[in-house]
Amino acid sequence: MKRENNSVKITVTVNGIEYRETVPAHTTLLQFLREKLLLTGTKEGCGIGECGACTVIMNGKSVASCLVLAAEVDGAQVRTVEGEMRDGELSALQKAFIEHGATQCGFCTPGMIMSAQELLERNSNPSREEIVEAIAGNLCRCTGYEPIVEAIEAVITSKDSPRRST
Amino acid sequence: MAETNDGYTYIGKSVTRRDGVEKVTGSALFTHDLVVQGMLYAKTVRSPYAYARIKSIDTREAEKWPGVRAVVKGKELSYKVGLYVLDKDILAKDYARYQGEAVAAVAADSELAAEQACEKIKVEWEPLQPVLDPKEALKENAPRVHPDLEHYGYMKGVFFPKPGTNIPHQQKIRKGDVGEGFRQADAVVETRFYNPPVQHVPIETHVSIAQALPGGKVQIWTSAQSPYTVRNLFSVCFGIPHQNIRVKVPYVGGGFGGKAGIHLEPLCYVLSRKAGGRPVKLTMTREEEFNTMPSRQGLYSEFKTGATKDGKIVALQVRYYWDAGAYADYGVNIGRAAAYAGAGPYEVPNCSIDSYVVYTNKVFGTAYRGFGHLEVLWGIERNMDIVARTIGLDPVEFRMRNVLRPGSVTITGERITEHHGRVDKCLQAVAKEIGWKGYKTEQQREEEKRSGKVRGKGIALLHKAPAMPTFTSTGVVLKFNENGTVDLMTSLVDYGQGTYTTLAQIAAEELKIPLEKINIPWDSDTSFTPYDWQTVASKGAFMSGNATIMAARDCLRQLKETASQVLRCPVEELECGSERVFLRHQPDTAIQYKDLAYGYVYPNGNAIGGPVIGRGQYIAQGLTNLDPETGQGLPALDWTYGAHGMEIEVDTETGDVEVLKIASSFDVGKVLNEALVRGQIIGGVVQGLGSAMTEEFRFSKEGKLENPGLVDYKILTAKDIPRKMTQHVVETPQTDGPYGARGVAEHPMISVPSALGNALYDALGIDYFRLPLNAERIYFGIKSGKKEHHG
Amino acid sequence: MIKPFFYLKPRTLEEALDALQSDGARALAGGTDLLVEIRNGERRPETLVDIKGLKDLEDLTFDPQKGATIGAGVSLNVLIDNAQVRKHLPVLSEAAFSIATYQLRNRATLVGNFCNASPAADMAPALYILGAEVVIANAEGQRRLPIHEFLTGVKQTALKQGELVLRVEIPRLPKGKMAFLKKQRIKGHDLALVNMAGLADRPTGALRICIGACAVTPVLLSDIGSLYKDAKDVEKLAERVAELSGTAISPIDDVRCSKEYREDMVRVFVKRLVRQICSGG
Repeated sequence: MKRENNSVKITVTVNGIEYRETVPAHTTLLQFLREKLLLTGTKEGCGIGECGACTVIMNGKSVASCLVLAAEVDGAQVRTVEGEMRDGELSALQKAFIEHGATQCGFCTPGMIMSAQELLERNSNPSREEIVEAIAGNLCRCTGYEPIVEAIEAVITSKDSPRRST
Repeated sequence: MAETNDGYTYIGKSVTRRDGVEKVTGSALFTHDLVVQGMLYAKTVRSPYAYARIKSIDTREAEKWPGVRAVVKGKELSYKVGLYVLDKDILAKDYARYQGEAVAAVAADSELAAEQACEKIKVEWEPLQPVLDPKEALKENAPRVHPDLEHYGYMKGVFFPKPGTNIPHQQKIRKGDVGEGFRQADAVVETRFYNPPVQHVPIETHVSIAQALPGGKVQIWTSAQSPYTVRNLFSVCFGIPHQNIRVKVPYVGGGFGGKAGIHLEPLCYVLSRKAGGRPVKLTMTREEEFNTMPSRQGLYSEFKTGATKDGKIVALQVRYYWDAGAYADYGVNIGRAAAYAGAGPYEVPNCSIDSYVVYTNKVFGTAYRGFGHLEVLWGIERNMDIVARTIGLDPVEFRMRNVLRPGSVTITGERITEHHGRVDKCLQAVAKEIGWKGYKTEQQREEEKRSGKVRGKGIALLHKAPAMPTFTSTGVVLKFNENGTVDLMTSLVDYGQGTYTTLAQIAAEELKIPLEKINIPWDSDTSFTPYDWQTVASKGAFMSGNATIMAARDCLRQLKETASQVLRCPVEELECGSERVFLRHQPDTAIQYKDLAYGYVYPNGNAIGGPVIGRGQYIAQGLTNLDPETGQGLPALDWTYGAHGMEIEVDTETGDVEVLKIASSFDVGKVLNEALVRGQIIGGVVQGLGSAMTEEFRFSKEGKLENPGLVDYKILTAKDIPRKMTQHVVETPQTDGPYGARGVAEHPMISVPSALGNALYDALGIDYFRLPLNAERIYFGIKSGKKEHHG
Repeated sequence: MIKPFFYLKPRTLEEALDALQSDGARALAGGTDLLVEIRNGERRPETLVDIKGLKDLEDLTFDPQKGATIGAGVSLNVLIDNAQVRKHLPVLSEAAFSIATYQLRNRATLVGNFCNASPAADMAPALYILGAEVVIANAEGQRRLPIHEFLTGVKQTALKQGELVLRVEIPRLPKGKMAFLKKQRIKGHDLALVNMAGLADRPTGALRICIGACAVTPVLLSDIGSLYKDAKDVEKLAERVAELSGTAISPIDDVRCSKEYREDMVRVFVKRLVRQICSGG
């Protein structure tokens, strides 16, 4: 295989829109989203997968985007927090976060929402333990987590569907 | 939670936070997200040694690295930075004073280029013997962290650096005669405690952008709690006039005190200047956040308590030794503030406190939620339990006999009145919530131990007043829009507390307009939003709330003035309500606010009035400096009291603790927004549990920080929170607070460690004296078989 | 990331092995260890060879007679979700579930965990007691190594340049009870202070226990098989095994905890493990 420079070409769908880009091989998905696509909703909190602030959904699974290379999402479907609102409507989870005080400074919120949303899409009736397991990889320093768990529980018990991914 | 609504429309209601949509959609922009035209990225070179002389720095290769636009080292800069003691250089000049301190910086087209260029910078070091413990630093022949201390500028009359030592400040409190008090005592108890340095761990690390504009002007975007403090300290540091410095603060991803002062802004500025005025952004990596950005001071506390057999404290002698790290920053003020609160919420007739702030060669301490109060109350509240036991009294009863009540006098000579909070009610509330019935007996403990799991209950009290200058002030401006909505302008920063929502409630209540019509532009900008001292100290709702009330009333006055001319009536006959000004005895005779907002226009074209702009301000009233010898004075805007009750279960084989329940109670004066108060309490309690159970900086014996990262500096995750947390409030109105309210932002974190320490005694019959109370420490206490574990 | 690298995604095993020949080439699977090391400057590879294009490596097969095979591309969550693994090899599911966070487990792989060869690797003790074998591909073909020969030291394995681990094989399904225990500092995601896996089979009297995070590589307790057969009292057995474990391990002090705490926790957890797997029918 001939290697001239360390760029890679990728075709990736983000929030339903297809992008074709060329990026240096060492670019992480997080950097790609924030710096190339200017989707700054997803945050960097640690760069080593410990805090979850960079969580996005890739091919239906929540991942820490700081530990995924942009090169690795060639051909993939990626969802970030910016795609959760559809046609001006907040998702059930987004509404619940607001109603239940699940967001304070807001920095962990995008990652937290993606982790929670992914949970609701694979498990329509999770127990509290399962909820906690899904978000345990998302660190929050402000809320003490309880309001976040309450927000997610509220979505489960409400009649609104958490909206399946398209 | 709150008892009555008192007829308010918005005050006391759990109105939803108004910044929710921006945050849940990811559209809220933090400094972390900002990109400015022409922006460069900075990286730093940091000291590997705790104390070292910088012999030389060779930046030639770095300067030539592709993409590099500026390289700066300490020697080029002749500025000093500091809040109270001007002891810090922007980049270490001749000496690096802590492992992690920045000594050189690069600004380049990309972060990668900057990082690679930094690798090319060669520093020649002469490692020196560091001093890593404040008690060691007090010794005669200890290494001097700041040999030039006597030449530094400092805030005179308030702080007293001691030349020839490692002491940038010492605070004394002297009340009564402790010698006499000890003579009266039936029991004298001595205890010692320690808590280590910890970090705030905001999820958004420190990040700033600065641009040196032509004409000597500066533009700054920063993740900070106090735009005006950044501006002021910047002005003092560089000698640039205030009006030429513009500081903008967008959304902030957590601060907790760590972002209260000035941190990265000066460095970004000098790089920008050297890079021909291009904006420079410096973002701390998480490792740098731990290793380079400031911490919370460690503390040794020593108590000698004299008590009578009927449970009255008659004498208290305290020594606090603060581990300030390499720079004074807020540390000196923490040493001062915690001293005047340093006896706890108790009436102590004879008290002597010596609070020493001491330099060491470690990352420097700064403000952190509680401002020294979590640190001192760890010892104070553990000490109270130990003294109670020594004289044979139940710890709740012992506290009830000594708590401050109306008529009591504090250790700084402040008289408690009916308008102060009721710490006794908070204590009773949590004691009841956890079902406190006294300590277990040794026999009960032994029986439980057989199952491998033992339970215990513990209680601790807390108090705190805002620690701030006597002249702290704030301004709020309300300006009407043509459609009758109102913009609320403030430089108070809402970095998660929800204060903007509270201020909107207050404005809506006072102006008598629907809540949705109050708009709060989020960003603070020293060019536009009026002065606020800092967003710290749990004073935001109090002071800015009062300023908002004043601004609203100013608006109503202006509206009425114009309306009285139009309606041809005296101003006194007018009322405001439902977005209109109307004649009291003829309510249909009215004009809508929106028709007055930009002035009233008569049918023939004449116009009167003008844009309605309400101005409000609040300045701390009646506060005094503390006497340098006795500490007497009135430093406190308001005192918020509180209590925690905790029930735990200990696995005696491993030392692991499960927190079954935490009950917390605070006298908040008046609940302005129940959901927000609950949010502060739960968040603060969990953060306090971090300090209590897991968090600590670990240093090697050479002074290198060994756990600068989330892998080995553990904060609580969703799996670690208590099974049950309850929140209770008492509402003893604070007469000068808005609607009687006091702050409760920092308080929930304070005394959580003490409650845990007390619960561990109940469970195990063992006294612990050091934080964090992690499984390993608890385990070794059990293993030792002794009743005291000092390790 | 200070040193940029090249990225390749081979479509066949031959391409992959060829790419891995060069000195600075490293295989990339989940990336949850490797990308962290690159970011911290601990490793500076020239080229990352993404093996996720090799679809065979995603195979997770299970046969009651022939045992199980877990491909190098199988993520921890896929492993955990597999009902047969949960039923017949629960020690693997338990170990996997204890690792990191849910979102990291969507990427991290079982093979990657032990190839990283941290002394505290959570998958390793389970693989030891199951007698796992590591199947390695190279230019000459394939070779296999028992897991205890594959891990050779702190962050060191027997893998040579130009080689790639294809899968791990559990040659036959073990009989008996098995469990995995891990001592952490917090309930949330954490590295192991100590970890261990155990397998006990009453009829054959087999007892296998492997302890991690207490030496440079996991420690498989030897000579304990016969103890179970002759044991009349689970508590006494637990005590005896705990004693033996004490002499077998050589833990250190580190930033996470002291040597003494590790030693004591090994005793506590070995006893708990023995009680768990040796009780009942």
